[in-house]
Amino acid sequence: MNFDTTTGEKNIPILHVEGKILGNAADVFREKMEQQLQTAQGKLVVDLMNVPLIDSSALGAIVLTLKSCQRSGGKLVLLSPQKAVREVLEVTQLATVIEIHDTEESASAALM
Amino acid sequence: MAETILVVDDDLDILELLKMNLEPEGYDVRTASDGRQAVESASESPPDLILLDVMMPHKNGYQVIEELKDIEETKTVPVILLTARGQTEDKVQGLDAGADDYITKPFDLREVTARVKAVLGRTQPIKYINPLMRAMGSGFNEAGVQQLAGHLQAAADIQKKLLPEQAPSIQGFDIGILLQSSMSVSGDFYDFIPLSETRIGIVLGDVKGNGIPAALLMVMIRTALRLLCREAEDPAVILKRINDLVVRDTEATLFATMIYGVMDTVTSTFTYSNGGHCYPLRRKSTGMIDVLKTGNMLVGAFEEATFRSGTCLLSSGDIVVFYTDGITETYAGDSSVSNKSQRASVNSEEVNAHQSPTPADMFYGQDRLATCVSKNATLSASELCEAIVTDLALFSGSTQPNDDRALVVIKRDT
Repeated sequence: MNFDTTTGEKNIPILHVEGKILGNAADVFREKMEQQLQTAQGKLVVDLMNVPLIDSSALGAIVLTLKSCQRSGGKLVLLSPQKAVREVLEVTQLATVIEIHDTEESASAALM
Repeated sequence: MAETILVVDDDLDILELLKMNLEPEGYDVRTASDGRQAVESASESPPDLILLDVMMPHKNGYQVIEELKDIEETKTVPVILLTARGQTEDKVQGLDAGADDYITKPFDLREVTARVKAVLGRTQPIKYINPLMRAMGSGFNEAGVQQLAGHLQAAADIQKKLLPEQAPSIQGFDIGILLQSSMSVSGDFYDFIPLSETRIGIVLGDVKGNGIPAALLMVMIRTALRLLCREAEDPAVILKRINDLVVRDTEATLFATMIYGVMDTVTSTFTYSNGGHCYPLRRKSTGMIDVLKTGNMLVGAFEEATFRSGTCLLSSGDIVVFYTDGITETYAGDSSVSNKSQRASVNSEEVNAHQSPTPADMFYGQDRLATCVSKNATLSASELCEAIVTDLALFSGSTQPNDDRALVVIKRDT
């Protein structure tokens, strides 16, 4: 699992994740998201385009980050999850509480 | 007050590097350069966490852990081991000895910070479980946490006693159950609640999170469910109430996925509500397989979650299989994955995303489960549970589960 951060429009940070997120790696994933949220006034795009697979631990990391983000009045959106990841988001109905975008532009725009 | 970390390594460069990295994060950092010094320093003034090298003069890391576990003041201090890369046995030995986590050398400093934070966070579980802590009479203090940590085994025992050891016998149905824990306390649970002569409540779930807080949440959900199922008929109403209870009474780091439903033995219908849990499989006696697809949000994560119920009819010979994701997320063993791909690994940075295996290669998955159920449809419910476990062992190359596994199989008599 690798991370890279870029900045979209209006300085919205985009966290690009590459590789599977399984087991204990979910803790690192969550930490990365929390770090970015702290430095960016609670706004973050998480790019899952290069994540072929997540398990329930990674899902937990997304739920927990989303919750703490909502509590502090911030917003987290997901970018381009692959089919397998999208399916997991749909079974758990997380897709109904977290915005999923297909382009960086629309993801960033959702946070402005 | 700043938390204190004791860093132990015989390599002075590493000591300096870790100190320089951790102090700006707000920690007080003390150092020791061998095992003997480490024990002295820790017992003199117990730190909040120890970062401990394994290979050191005088005493190695495992010996240090053993000695610290024997000293009253230091026995609950969490330890993160620094091990050489790829030494799987080291990691296992370290975790067996009582280490809380490990980091492989050469390490990424950001990972060290993340793991330190995670372990320190885990050792302060009281804030997640306020209502239960109050019920247990422990205050929000260190002594309470230590007491809790010491009672981990007791918690595991209580939890096991709460889970039914045997499947209930229900007129006209054959029921099989199975629970395999990957750790001493399990996040997976099931329960059967007789509601009347002809109706029985069935629940299967998975509390997300680790250790005692998760175990206590499981107990809380089970207890709440046993009370609520007599007050309300509709499973969706019950899940909504449990959701609101968990959201209100716990901090953000816990939630559950669960299915609760009522089996009516007169009409042979199962009315259920599914809170973010894997869809149960249904195999009709005709051989057709489908899933019970009425789903809702995870339980206990969001206040605004709403829940719906669904109903399914069980005809003679039909089978319904409830399972937790420990079943479908069983990792493929080397022989299953063959040359196509690598085995699931936490250290996956070397795996190129484009060559990564598909989920179907990596995990046991719902399709394999469905095939296994079909192949063994003539067996009794408990034999079917065993057949699934055997199939999982074949697929993973191991009889040890990588996560908790729970199964409830319901088969209508022919």
